[in-house]
Amino acid sequence: MRKTLFLGLLAIGLVGISTAQQKKQPTKKEARVKPEEVRQVLLSGFEQDPKFLWKIEQDESQRICSQYPSMEAMPPKAVQKVIELENKNIVYPQWGIAWGDWKEGKKLVESARGGRFASYGFSDKFTDKGGNCYACHLIEKGVPGGTMGPSLTAYGKRYGITKENMNTPEGLERLKMVYKIVYNAWHAYPCSSMPRFGYHGALSPEDVMNIATYLLHPESPVNK
Amino acid sequence: MRKILLTSAVFGLACAGFLGYQTVKAQDQELSPEEEIRLVQEFNRMMAEGINPGEIWAEMGKEAFKKYNLDKCDFGLGPGKVEGALAQLPRYFPDAKRVMDLETRIGWCLQQYAGMTPEQVKKFATQCWGKSQCMGEYDAIVMYVSMASNGQKFSVNLNDPQVKRMYEIGKQIYYARIGPWDFNCATCHAGQKEARIRATKLWSADRPGEAGQAVSIFPKYLVRWSQPMTMHYRYAECIRQMRWPTFEPHSDLAVAISAFLYGTANGTEIKVPGIGR
Repeated sequence: MRKTLFLGLLAIGLVGISTAQQKKQPTKKEARVKPEEVRQVLLSGFEQDPKFLWKIEQDESQRICSQYPSMEAMPPKAVQKVIELENKNIVYPQWGIAWGDWKEGKKLVESARGGRFASYGFSDKFTDKGGNCYACHLIEKGVPGGTMGPSLTAYGKRYGITKENMNTPEGLERLKMVYKIVYNAWHAYPCSSMPRFGYHGALSPEDVMNIATYLLHPESPVNK
Repeated sequence: MRKILLTSAVFGLACAGFLGYQTVKAQDQELSPEEEIRLVQEFNRMMAEGINPGEIWAEMGKEAFKKYNLDKCDFGLGPGKVEGALAQLPRYFPDAKRVMDLETRIGWCLQQYAGMTPEQVKKFATQCWGKSQCMGEYDAIVMYVSMASNGQKFSVNLNDPQVKRMYEIGKQIYYARIGPWDFNCATCHAGQKEARIRATKLWSADRPGEAGQAVSIFPKYLVRWSQPMTMHYRYAECIRQMRWPTFEPHSDLAVAISAFLYGTANGTEIKVPGIGR
């Protein structure tokens, strides 16, 4: 008799506890894993060789972008914040905005090398650099390119850049605009898939100027 | 007969691949656009003929499985049971106190039953990384165990809180912008819009069924390197292309990504090995 009573009370007690637990069950938001846990798992997945350990610390814009699965899902406030932050992160070449060397720009556009370090077979050299632009863009006619970004075919021609107008204020303004996009795409397209090449130092200001020249110059193969 | 056919297919491909390499520098893994197109055409041709050179690794794997005492290894369905093993991984293993995917579990079992140290396991697992035409025992073991689940559908248990946790961590990493090129897995493998990287179509975790189609064929035989690529090698190469630091196989990062990808793939039929450029 007492045993039954005891077991009965125990059963009720357990049911009572479990329903209480269910009430205290974390909401969808609380059930998410903590940033610290995510960070620990991420770091555990990399070789600890300092020669290869890059900046894994997210900057503020990366943190904002990581909260949304796409640019379209971003609220206006977040969009504004990233644009504001990234407009401060543009550095121009020491001699300012002036047409560079499109032949050098072409080499950088076509090079997929630079920054891909690994302790097995395929590592890049520390001095390699390039934008790997064909991964995401179509650029010269007939050359296979990706479609993650917009097509850049006949880019300068489409913007009406000619030998006659390329050194007018309008022509140079267009050059500056393209420079800014290649240097730091997020200043105009926050959280774009395009890397912030100049900001991260993957490309120097002079490199970026040469690439902008390659895209816009009337003599460049892009526009012929 | 089939073995002879497969061996000659591998040999023929290796020759073709080698000739292709005359136009590509040894360390330079970038193929010219013409080369890429040629390789795509070659693998379509092989697929049409019903030849998949990747299968030869499964035969090797069966031998290596016994050699390294993996018949003692419990993949979740009992020691040595490989049929259906891949379909229910990743899962939590109380003996290791970790959620593990297939390769991580193989690595752990090699330590337990083949007397390997963690360093030896890593060397064993990465023996074919950065190479081509490499016939590695590890890749063979992964191929053998994976193929034993052919025809079954992925059924990762996302109701297990440990597995769910790794799934959530993997998902956050998938969408987190990191590193000096601001990349993440989602840069290429997310979104609704269909896109290509150079000449290669990209699958998206956000479009239903595509993640499943992508992972259900791993290990995947790659024509450009004449050898199969396991999931962890695929993670390593993606991570290298993202300009992230060098990837550690069998890490929690691997398990997290696997939990997310295989969890998303639930319901997809397993068809190993796939074949690609």
